[in-house]
Formats: sequence, structure tokens, C-alpha cells
Amino acid sequence: MMATPGRGAVISVKDITKTYLVGEVQVRALRGVTLDVQSGEFICVTGASGSGKSTLMHILGCLDRPTSGEYLLDGQDVSKMSKDQLAEVRNKKIGFVFQGFNLLSRTSALDNVELPLLYQGGKSLRTAERRARAMQSLTAVGLRDRFDHHPNQLSGGQQQRVAIARALVTEPAILLADEPTGNLDTRTSIEVMGIFQKLNIERGLTVLVITHEMEIAEYGTRIIRCRDGQIVSDHLVERRRLADDELRALPKEATVA
Amino acid sequence: MSPLMTFRIATKALGRNKMRTGLTMLGMIIGVSAVISLVAMGNGAQSVIEDQIRGAGTNMITVNAGNISQGGVRGGSGSSSTLTVDDANAIREQVPGVQFLAAGVQSQAQVVAGNQNWFTRIQGTDVDLPDIRSWALKTGAFFSAQDVSGAAKVAVLGKTVSDTLFGADADPVGQVIRIRNQPFKVIGVMAAKGQSGMGPDMDDQILAPYTTIMKKLLGVTFIRDITVSAASAGDTTDVADRIAVILRTRHKIAVGEDDDFTVRTAEEIADIRTAAMGTMTTLLAGIAGVSLIVGGIGIMNIMLVSVTERTREIGLRLAIGAKGRDVLLQFLVEALTLSLIGGGIGIALGFGLAEGMSRWMSWPTKVPANAVAMAFGFAAATGVFFGFYPAQKASRLDPIEALRFE
Repeated sequence: MMATPGRGAVISVKDITKTYLVGEVQVRALRGVTLDVQSGEFICVTGASGSGKSTLMHILGCLDRPTSGEYLLDGQDVSKMSKDQLAEVRNKKIGFVFQGFNLLSRTSALDNVELPLLYQGGKSLRTAERRARAMQSLTAVGLRDRFDHHPNQLSGGQQQRVAIARALVTEPAILLADEPTGNLDTRTSIEVMGIFQKLNIERGLTVLVITHEMEIAEYGTRIIRCRDGQIVSDHLVERRRLADDELRALPKEATVA
Repeated sequence: MSPLMTFRIATKALGRNKMRTGLTMLGMIIGVSAVISLVAMGNGAQSVIEDQIRGAGTNMITVNAGNISQGGVRGGSGSSSTLTVDDANAIREQVPGVQFLAAGVQSQAQVVAGNQNWFTRIQGTDVDLPDIRSWALKTGAFFSAQDVSGAAKVAVLGKTVSDTLFGADADPVGQVIRIRNQPFKVIGVMAAKGQSGMGPDMDDQILAPYTTIMKKLLGVTFIRDITVSAASAGDTTDVADRIAVILRTRHKIAVGEDDDFTVRTAEEIADIRTAAMGTMTTLLAGIAGVSLIVGGIGIMNIMLVSVTERTREIGLRLAIGAKGRDVLLQFLVEALTLSLIGGGIGIALGFGLAEGMSRWMSWPTKVPANAVAMAFGFAAATGVFFGFYPAQKASRLDPIEALRFE
């Protein structure tokens, strides 16, 4: 489960800091973080709330810029980019999965998945092409037959799978998930982690999951622990949990799907 | 992002909340249709008045007692007792270019015929009136000069009066009607002149010799008005001027003093009436315009609520690669779509209302082309103006904050 050598770092962060001004008080959310993520890695970032893991996620996800330091994403320096440039980077290189799914209500799964493609500048895709790619993405998460369902017709796990399909549709360099299992029960959590694992193993997709649950973190290949705005430990997972095996071991449930 | 894509995203967003979209549009629909239908009503009335007065003969001149533009307390034209029969005769004899002339007095009374009765206008006039107004008789005859000089109690009925008192299609000639308990013999019925858009109904009146009305009904020595027609239409203004000169001399009005009478040509009356209607139309359009602005504020209100409610959606769009400009355009196009579709429906509804007004309420309407263009333009401008602030607010959201919004 080691990083594929030779393909280079997808993420290369050197000594980044982030300081917020809350009223008169300066809050140092990140105090010098250095991190390299190789292509094909499945990294889990853990830490208590206030440890800086969310801030790190926002910066890695190009939603925010570091106060200082250097950030190379896929070989491109993004630490000094303008807002519009960052938006383009987010669209092309990053797939987001959120705790709260953030699907558009009263909109079919297919339309939800298609959404990032609508914001692709330059050569816009034709409608048929967009549909085909969104369908492919839904197939990858096993929801091909539910493409016309609206979010309120889907279970929580299915909604999160739609969100994952949406993150995949632009073929990003990295998939960033912020507490993706935070709103899900144990079984569904394992299912969702299983999808990440499958994508990681079968497609070599680089995945970065933020979670505060250690058990969830063990589905990854490498665990990074944050505390007080710094990385306090960074180690490979020796005995990686495999979602597929665990699901088979779990008693059969009357599946909602 | 292409404009077409922005439009598709915006219409999809609107389609997601049809109830709210519909209600917001309603403000615009009401505003635009109000502007269109009210302007159409005003314009229709205006053109009818114009046609009527011009149609009655451009060579007509009316002289009214009193002067509405005079200072001090005045009851308006016709309420003064400054015109006499001698004035009328002087105009007839001394003013060149006068073809027909009729002195007029007016009253109103309850008229009784058999077991029917009707409250109507009694118009005292002279034998020339049918010529001046180019007004034919339906049956019977108009009264003669002898009737006038002898103050005969004869009456010529308007169509409405005849129908009401004697029933439609009945011939009342030879019957007797009672006006203020005095018997008048019906000698004729005027042809229908039609209801005018504004002003008195020409068919709802009784014509009688002015002498009879003055002596037998009112007991007055003055007349209310003199209606004159000039021999040639081109001569009308000159004749009107000459009438004014004669009346000033006869009334011994010194140079610099105001007239105690009012001389107006048909042209002038038409102008005054249409100008008044024009003011009315502008006023109505103004009031309707206020409802357009209210509609616009409604759009802004809904868009602001929408931006707050959809904060997470905006956060998501920003996170997956929408630029601030994309979000700005999306909300602007949403507002614009609301106002333009609302405006379009409003225009259609306005036409419908105008058509309905003229069909079922016999109020003449005319939708001017520029009112449609204006209403549509205003709807678009409202959309952009009131949509911009909420759109800008949306586009400036921080994606991190927006995604966290509960």
C-alpha cells in the first residue's frame, strides 16, 4: 500500500502557516506544516477540534490561501494564486466530499453529479458528453440505476455516494473528504470508506480524508495527526482495515438500497 | 462559463421553487399589466374624445356665460348670467361668417309619461341645432321658428328618453309628456348619437325651444350658452375672435379687463379635453408605475432571502469551481428571468384587461406601442437593478463560511 514511486508528489506543502484575526486577537491556526502526498496515497488526517486539521484541509483544497509558506499542487504553485485562479484549480484538480453531502435539493442525482462540469471554463463540454461522464461517475459509486432520483429519495449513504460521484466527475488529481462519515451510521460509514478504498486501490486515486475517528482513519494507508496547528505524528498504517471484508463479516441488514 | 449555461443554471434554480418563483413574478405581472391597461384606458378615452369633438364639426364654436379663467369666486363656465338672447341675436346679425346659431339653456327634471318617469337633462335650444351638430331625426320633426318665438311647449326626445318612457321602437310623436307638471307635446325623436366616452350622453336628453325653457320652466332672462357654426372650417378662429369682440363691446368690458364669457372652438375644446385626459393617463401610469417598483422590491426581497437560504448551495458552487462572476451572473439572470417572464405575462394580461374593458364595460381602450416597450424595458431594468445587490452579495460569499452555514 505504499505510494507509487516515481509519480511524484501530488501535494507538496512546505512550512505553511495560517493566522486569522478574530477581533483583536491573532489566532495561529497552522504553525508551520510540511507535508508531501504522493500520488496513489490514501491519507487520513486526524486530530481534535481546534487542532488545525480543518484549516489544513481548506488550504489543501484551495478554498483558502496560507499566510506564509509554499504549496505545490500537482506541480503548480497555488499559494499565491488569485481567487478566480483558485476556483479553476478547485474545479480541475480537486474533488470535494463534505460531511453534509451538500447536494442540490429537488435536483436529480445526475444533474448534481454534472454540476462541476458546468463550471469548466475554456472548451465547454457538449451536453451529451457531460451526461455520459456524470453517468460513468454514478456507475463508479454503484448508483447508476438511481440517476433520476432526487436527494430526498435517497438514503444518507446513497447521498454521500452521489457526492463522491460529483467529486470524481472532473477526474481530479486528489479527492478531499471532510468528515465524510460524520453524518452516517457505522455500516454506511464502512460502505462509504469502502468506496474510497476501491477508488484508491483500483484507480490509484489519491484520497485525503479528514476525520476525528481513529477507526475511520485506519482505512487509509497513512495517518497524520494534528495538534495545535502542527503535525505531531505521521506514520503508515501497518494493518489497514479493508471495508469490503468487514462488510461481509457484518450481519446482513435489510438494505434500504 | 457560457451565457447559455448561466441561463440554464438560473432557470433550473427557479424551477426548484416554483411556488416562490410564481409569487415573485406576480408582483411584476400586476405592475406591468396595471401600467398597460391603465395607459390603454387613458389613451382610448383620449382618442374617443378627440374623434367625437372633431367629428361633430371643426367649424363649431361655443360661447359660454362666465369665464373659468377669471379670478375671484366663479362657479365655472355656464353658471353666470352674463349672456342674453340679445347677445345671440347680435352675433347672428353682426358677425360675418356665422352660418348657424343656437342659444342654449339647460335644466334637469323628472319627466313623466303615462306611468313611466325618467330623470333627465332638458336642453333648451334653437332650430339650428340639428344643422350645427349634423344630427338627424329618427321620427317626427324638429321644432320650428314659430315654436321658438311662441315658446311652444313642444319637445324632441333623445333616443334613450324615448325608449325609457315609451318603450323601444314605439313612436311617441303626438304623445304628451309632463316636465315639472307642465304638459309638453312630443313632436320628434332624435336619431341615436351614441354614448360618448366622456361627457354627457347625447341620447339621454330632451330638446325644447330655449324660449320655452327660459319662460315656462326656469323663469330666467339669460341664456347659458350659444352654439355657433362658422360657414367655413378655415374661418372658425376668425369668427370666434369676432364674436369675442362683439360681446366685449356689448358687455362694455374695458380694455385690459377679463371677458365675462368664454369662446371656444371645437378644436380648442378637443385640445383641452385631451390634455386633461393626458394628465389623467400620466397620473394613472404613475400610480401603476409605483406597483412596478413594489414588484421590483419584491424581487429583491425574494432574491435576498434566496441568497441566505441557498448559502450552502453557493458555498458548494464556489467550492467545485464556480467563480464569483459565475454566481453573480446566475443570481442576476434569475432576477432578470423573473422580471422578464413576469413582464411578458403582465403585458399579455394588460392587453387582456384592456380588451375586456372595451368589450364588457364599453370603455374604449388603445394600447400604445411604446407603453409595451416601456413596461418591458422597465421590467428588465427592475430585474437588473433590484437583482444586482443580492447577486453581488452571493458572489462575495466566502466558500468556507458558506459551506459551514446552517
